[in-house]
Amino acid sequence: MSALDRFPPGHGDRALIAGIVCLFIGALFTMTPLRVQLPSAFYVFVEVGILFVIYGVLVLGLDLQYGHTGLVNFGHVVFFAVGAYATAMLSAQDTFTGIGLGYPWPLGLAVGVIAAAILGAAVSLTSIRLRGDFLAIVTLATAEIFHSLFVNFEDIFGGNVGILGVPRPIAAVISDSDTQLVATLLVLGGITFLTLAVVIRLTDAPYGRVLRAIRADELVTRSVGKSTITYKMQAFVYGAALAGLAGGMFALYNGAVAPGFFTIQVTVTVWIGMLLGGAANHRAVLAGLAIIMGLRLISRFALNVTPVAGDVFASIRLIVVGLILVAVIRYRPAGIWGDPQELGVDQ
Amino acid sequence: MGLLQELIFGLVSGSYIAIAAIGFTLIYGIVNMINFAYGEYLTMGAFIGYLAANVLPGPFPVAVVIAMIGGGIVSIVLARGFFSPINHTGPVPMLLTSIGLGIALRNAIRLFGGRSARYFETETLTFRFDAVPDISVGPVDFLGGFFITSEHLIVIGSAMGVFTVVHLLLTRTDVGIAMRAMGDDETLARVRGIDTQLIRDSVWVLAGVLAGLAGVLMAVQTNVSADTGYSHILQILSAAILGGAGSPYGAILGAYVIGLVLAVSTAFLPSSMTGLSSAMAFMILIAVLLVKPSGIAGTEVREA
Repeated sequence: MSALDRFPPGHGDRALIAGIVCLFIGALFTMTPLRVQLPSAFYVFVEVGILFVIYGVLVLGLDLQYGHTGLVNFGHVVFFAVGAYATAMLSAQDTFTGIGLGYPWPLGLAVGVIAAAILGAAVSLTSIRLRGDFLAIVTLATAEIFHSLFVNFEDIFGGNVGILGVPRPIAAVISDSDTQLVATLLVLGGITFLTLAVVIRLTDAPYGRVLRAIRADELVTRSVGKSTITYKMQAFVYGAALAGLAGGMFALYNGAVAPGFFTIQVTVTVWIGMLLGGAANHRAVLAGLAIIMGLRLISRFALNVTPVAGDVFASIRLIVVGLILVAVIRYRPAGIWGDPQELGVDQ
Repeated sequence: MGLLQELIFGLVSGSYIAIAAIGFTLIYGIVNMINFAYGEYLTMGAFIGYLAANVLPGPFPVAVVIAMIGGGIVSIVLARGFFSPINHTGPVPMLLTSIGLGIALRNAIRLFGGRSARYFETETLTFRFDAVPDISVGPVDFLGGFFITSEHLIVIGSAMGVFTVVHLLLTRTDVGIAMRAMGDDETLARVRGIDTQLIRDSVWVLAGVLAGLAGVLMAVQTNVSADTGYSHILQILSAAILGGAGSPYGAILGAYVIGLVLAVSTAFLPSSMTGLSSAMAFMILIAVLLVKPSGIAGTEVREA
């Protein structure tokens, strides 16, 4: 308990401890013959849970960009996709199409994060000066360009099939599928907790105060001698790198990447989660994301009891998601747990 | 196919993109928002036109007029319901609202219209010009025989008609002059006694009417499905920004540049990569925003 005595127990430290505990238990599963059995009804929860913790890293990065700095990045999925593809292409063995170099996966993950950060740097170098809505359009267009590159360059990216044969480090050491799922959730969840701890540390520091000052009033911030462009570019690159990390995690969990996993739907999901929870509040954006992804669970259960076809149900779910976005912006612009005064949206 | 043929295709797609881009850019200039749901307005125009053409006995132009009226009504109803109440919040919340509305509308259309694509049944005449000699340089034929259909001529002709009408509307009528005044400076326009809400509503109606027309023309050239308009929204957006957001004349020019670049890149790209031609539009868009963000004829969109 010496660590607790030395630091005042803040959210960041609690997230740090939770992350370490999760990773520890997860590691226990991989190192020892300890096994768990899941009731079959729990499978879907664990599966959506894994996707949630991966998207959680995405939303934390996006919140750093939009919630704290006010950068409207509407192509967040492109950094997720680039991270996933870079990881997959470096580490895949015997992929069916595209490039698979077969290097060890930690190298692939590192390159994935770096590749996403480089793309983030390129986008921010060129476009960070644009007004909010135009930055949104440029990032959206970037995502569309990369999507069509992934689909069209079959020799490199594997076209619509994508890259197969990506190593799955957790599945490699645990053969039992129940334990595999639980261990994956714990390890990836632990990484998400650690990410949370890091971004809380970052935004509680004076650095985070500068970011929020830029969002509130860029001119004033510049007038007190802060180089706002540099800060904005840094925040953008951090967000992109986190998305790359999420992409690498996704590739190594899923064992394959394909353009179908990286559509604009991903961007929309994390945006709605962030706005619903309340931008600029790390735990709120995660809670908002949980609500939106919980909707996915509900619709999956409802699908089993209602007589309508799957695609009809998907349409209805997307109508609801779209209307939630509209309603949040209109009636609760600060989100459920956000602070309207701090966000400057109170009327 | 020769380059000449691709240029004709480019002119045709440039024409319907231009009609839509005028509506899009007017909303941008006067309501001050990027309306990402605009593609769905086109889709609804296409569906209304398709219904009218198949249910009503009248000739095709009647269906087009009904689509235009329907588009105008849809546009003003959606604006009153979703955009007017949050007009004061600024461009980013409006853009996000339009993205959410677009997702909801697109899926509602898919729910009621189904997933399959439908086709307008129109009689077309084809005029062939096969006597033109080929001038081949490598794999690209720079001249070559070509054809043009009556549909192509109708699309290009409608676009010319729209340009004339919009030009006259903006320069010769009180409403149009008020629109331009509001685009320049809304506060000054209000001081001068212009009813800004009324003008905003008339812009929504005009944009909806243009969307109805563009939607039907687009659907005649491609098909009627839930993605008809959405698959063109980034091209429309690129055209509007290329021309200088807020400027209808710039949007026309931008639309033809986009249409021709898409067509020519189809001719030059190897056949396995024709899917990349849509990426070309976005590359142009990004290049424009980097080099001259104000577009060919527009205002500054950079803050610092």
